Amino acid sequence: MSVESGTMQATSQEHLQIQRATQRAERTVKIYRVLLWIVLLVGTIVFLTPLWVMIVMALKTPHEVAATDIWSWPQKPTTENFSIVLNSPNAPFLDFFKNTFVITVLSTAGCLVSASLVAYPFARLRFRGRDRLFILLLSTMMLPGIVTQIPSYIIFTHLHWVDTILPLVVPAWFGGGAFNIFLLRQFFMGIPRELDEAAILDGATHATIFWRVIMPNSGAALATVGIFAFVYNWKDFMGPLIYLNSPEKQTLEQGLRTFQSLQQEKWELIMAGSVLVMIPLLVIFLLGQRYFVKGIVMSGIK
Amino acid sequence: MLARPCRFEQLKSSILLRIVAVLLASLVAAVCVAQPITLRFTVWDGDVSLKVIQGILTQFEKENPDIHVKLEPIPDYNVYHQKMITLYAAHAAPDVAMMDPGHFQGLAKRGAFLPLNPLFNNDPKFLGQYYKPLTDAMTYKGQLYVLPRDIAPEGIIYYNKKLFDEAHIPYPDGSWTWDWKERPELKEKDFLWVMHQLTKKRADGKQQFGYLPSGSGLLADMIMYSSGVKPTDDYEHPTKVLYDTPEMHKVYHFVDDLISNKKWMPSQADVSSLFQSTTTQMFIRQQAAMYQNGIWEVPNIRHDMPPGSPDWFDWDIALAPAYVHGDRSSDSGGSGYGIFSSTRYPEQAWRLTKFMGGPVAMAAMARAGIAQPAIRSVALTDVWIPGPNTPKDQQWPHNRIATDQAVPYVKYGATADYWPSVMNVVNARIGGIWDKSLKVDDALHLATVEGQQRLDQLIKDEHLPAFNWQDGLIAALLIVAAILIAIYLPERKVRYTRRQKQESRAAYRFLSPWLVGLIIFTVGPMILSLLMSTMSWDMIMPAQWRGGGNFKEAFTQDPSFWPSIRVTLAYTLISTPLGIFFAFLLALLLNQKVRGVPLFRAAFYVPSIASAVASALIARKVFAPDDGLFNKVLYSPVFEKLGWAISSWAGDPKAHVNWFNNEKTAMAALIMLGLWGVGGSMVILLAGLQSIPQFYYEAATVDGASPFQKLKAITVPLLTPSLFFTLVTGFIGSFQIFTQVYVITGGSGGGPNNSLLVYMVNLFDAAFQQDRMGYAAALAWVLFFIILGFTLLQLAMSKWVYYEAEAK
Repeated sequence: MSVESGTMQATSQEHLQIQRATQRAERTVKIYRVLLWIVLLVGTIVFLTPLWVMIVMALKTPHEVAATDIWSWPQKPTTENFSIVLNSPNAPFLDFFKNTFVITVLSTAGCLVSASLVAYPFARLRFRGRDRLFILLLSTMMLPGIVTQIPSYIIFTHLHWVDTILPLVVPAWFGGGAFNIFLLRQFFMGIPRELDEAAILDGATHATIFWRVIMPNSGAALATVGIFAFVYNWKDFMGPLIYLNSPEKQTLEQGLRTFQSLQQEKWELIMAGSVLVMIPLLVIFLLGQRYFVKGIVMSGIK
Repeated sequence: MLARPCRFEQLKSSILLRIVAVLLASLVAAVCVAQPITLRFTVWDGDVSLKVIQGILTQFEKENPDIHVKLEPIPDYNVYHQKMITLYAAHAAPDVAMMDPGHFQGLAKRGAFLPLNPLFNNDPKFLGQYYKPLTDAMTYKGQLYVLPRDIAPEGIIYYNKKLFDEAHIPYPDGSWTWDWKERPELKEKDFLWVMHQLTKKRADGKQQFGYLPSGSGLLADMIMYSSGVKPTDDYEHPTKVLYDTPEMHKVYHFVDDLISNKKWMPSQADVSSLFQSTTTQMFIRQQAAMYQNGIWEVPNIRHDMPPGSPDWFDWDIALAPAYVHGDRSSDSGGSGYGIFSSTRYPEQAWRLTKFMGGPVAMAAMARAGIAQPAIRSVALTDVWIPGPNTPKDQQWPHNRIATDQAVPYVKYGATADYWPSVMNVVNARIGGIWDKSLKVDDALHLATVEGQQRLDQLIKDEHLPAFNWQDGLIAALLIVAAILIAIYLPERKVRYTRRQKQESRAAYRFLSPWLVGLIIFTVGPMILSLLMSTMSWDMIMPAQWRGGGNFKEAFTQDPSFWPSIRVTLAYTLISTPLGIFFAFLLALLLNQKVRGVPLFRAAFYVPSIASAVASALIARKVFAPDDGLFNKVLYSPVFEKLGWAISSWAGDPKAHVNWFNNEKTAMAALIMLGLWGVGGSMVILLAGLQSIPQFYYEAATVDGASPFQKLKAITVPLLTPSLFFTLVTGFIGSFQIFTQVYVITGGSGGGPNNSLLVYMVNLFDAAFQQDRMGYAAALAWVLFFIILGFTLLQLAMSKWVYYEAEAK
């Protein structure tokens, strides 16, 4: 795996050839870049349509929403919908924001910590029953949640957790979900084994290997799990709906539904609310991407 | 124990005792000035009506200082009833709950609701204040269970005065009639003639329909009831499905003729393609001159078309026509409040119920234009009927008295709690008439055969033995033991060295949080649901033992079971690999060093985080046949040939494809919609790409490898763990696809000719439309084993996955 060997003693003719090849390559790269940009731009337009519609509808008056096409830019953009949403007495936005934030942060943290702990032995240790336990892990994803909803509810009632955030937060700290464990296991299995073998020779325990070798090399995977867990909990509707009864404990997704009752669907308010609810998710996504950095720390390998 | 056994006599006497006790207690309380008690109160109202209710509650608390009301709004009608049942099954029901005729009987029959008659001492004067059809509909076995709050007859026709003026037709005064044939000699007194006159091509080229009901079924019900046709033999104890009679065929042929041949009212396809989300908007946009729906659409019309706005037109309401040889009749909405029998404070709960279903609260709701009071004397005052003091914006509709005139003719139909389950089966077939996937005669015949089968089953099920929980517990323990043995046994002979033993122990320490969570939060509910699969259980009554009956029903009787497997398999096998392929391409593109790449990535992730409501609306707009974005591109000069080719393949070579409403294209639309959500897989694969050690590429570049060679020799192999993950979880997820289908079909079953009848739609229907949790659990476990088999197969064939650090 040595990088330095080779090319140093190139003759002048070879040198020229390499130069030409490089020029050709650069030209292809330029064309390729332009093509790439076009493809990305077209794709972006297609994928951004939901956001566009959310924004334009949020900026329209109720009358304009009813009378015009959903794609069109408002004749006179108004921010009134946003202020109605922010000041709605039924759904105090800032309180709901705080509730949602607390639930989301606590359960995302739980997912990250416990899913990576559980994924580690599945990925890198040998123990009795591993393969069958792994199938058991996967199988917890296969039963539709509808039929376990009432049994779970009964358990949480007996724990006196109903109408608290505990049913929404605590399970995340006990495993963090099969999806996340499986995801991290796949990534942990991609980290070269030489790394922990070296550490074991140095007398490191598994806890040390996990913390010093595996975790630092899994930035992108952890960021992925973090983003997914955050988005999932932020947008969760059924969970809070079933477990939180008190109006003052409700979350943003529940608040959004108050603009969508049987009698009236106020699209302009739903969309204004949706835009506000979505902003933190975009921020988290962009922040999470900072951990999408190239490659593994390869010190000690070369 | 899951469900509470409640015998009716027992309950009654215990209620009396409780009332006495509570009365005594409140006497004592009055002396000692105790803390106010708290009543939990649930409603499905949202927004405006919720605000009004909060105001009413403040007043109530002022008048009743010993009671504090905790309002728990659940502003989603369907989920509301789902949650009520869950709460009751878990012994956590509220004290007072909003309820309606369609849902209370199931609760009342099983003793989950208190009979209200003892609470108002059977006073006929008290009951007489309310509209009689409504109190009748809320009564079960001579007892009132829900105190009405509002009534909403659907025998009301909104009409556009401008369009009537243009056609020189006098406004309807409610004295009109309908007949099986148009009666031109009666002129404006004949409903069909008016409908005919008002149907025309507008100047802007758009079709103007004479008449538009909120759903074709609404008109069919009106025709059926008012011409004296009955859907079943007995409304309280139905034993026969009567949809295959000559009279019923006549009803549906009549409605179908108006839609398909005369085209005086729009078809379902016309409706879904013409407007944004509701039939109301079609009326507002003047695409229909008459519009039949309940009075609850008034706030919407006022909201979307305030007087003085540029597109405003004058409108009013009129009584729907009567049958020329008979009577008027219509469906009706209506709601009220009931008391859960589990309440600790029946007396206080009654005070709250009486207040919320009383004149003060009704007047407040009526003034807000939300609900027609259920007490006639209140409905006839100017809080509901506009008078000289009514503010200008609340003047419309002027002829509000029609809502009172319509009340005597409302029909709530069969009230038996098992009837909705039968009607689900029936309506699934009748839906085929409206989306034109079935002929009228075939649809009615199938509806009757399948509905009757369900009805017989439900009647038979009432005599099953009770579920034995002791045996159930033993079975559960045996299952857990079997799983533990299956995990341990195969490796019992493997000898471990000391170091390996250490490693094994360390592994279990790492696993411990998951194992604890598995035992507490996961295994219990899973096993319980497995037990449920042998039960007949509606989540309210004590469970009954059905043995393998649920599974047998699924495999041999359920008309939806095999089609749903076929549809789900088709979706899964196409959409999962396709989605991963696109996600892979996207991830490769977005892994390049291009300016602004983080923003591009975010853009592709947007559909995955956008609000579900917004996405649903957009999906419908993108795939609309005439002005939908997708068809605009498809039928543009560039792709035109392809577009028309698809058109003729889909059945109508002259019309643009109506993606969601055509049985041949609905699945394709669903899959395309799914591709919009590839952002999630893309992120995983991107993370996978980023985790590939950079030095491999450096080494390959030095060796002169072409980009394609690098892709083949480095990227793909090292990405296989992530690809494998997206494949396995993608399959698991798509077998359970539900929400997206719900979006496309608008929550009404399996789409055109059941072409979108995925497995979960059938399962959800069993659980929460029909309250058959036992059957739903059986379906869920069948699905579980299908997915398990599929996943094991993938694990067995996973040799293609390359792990850098295979832990041997």
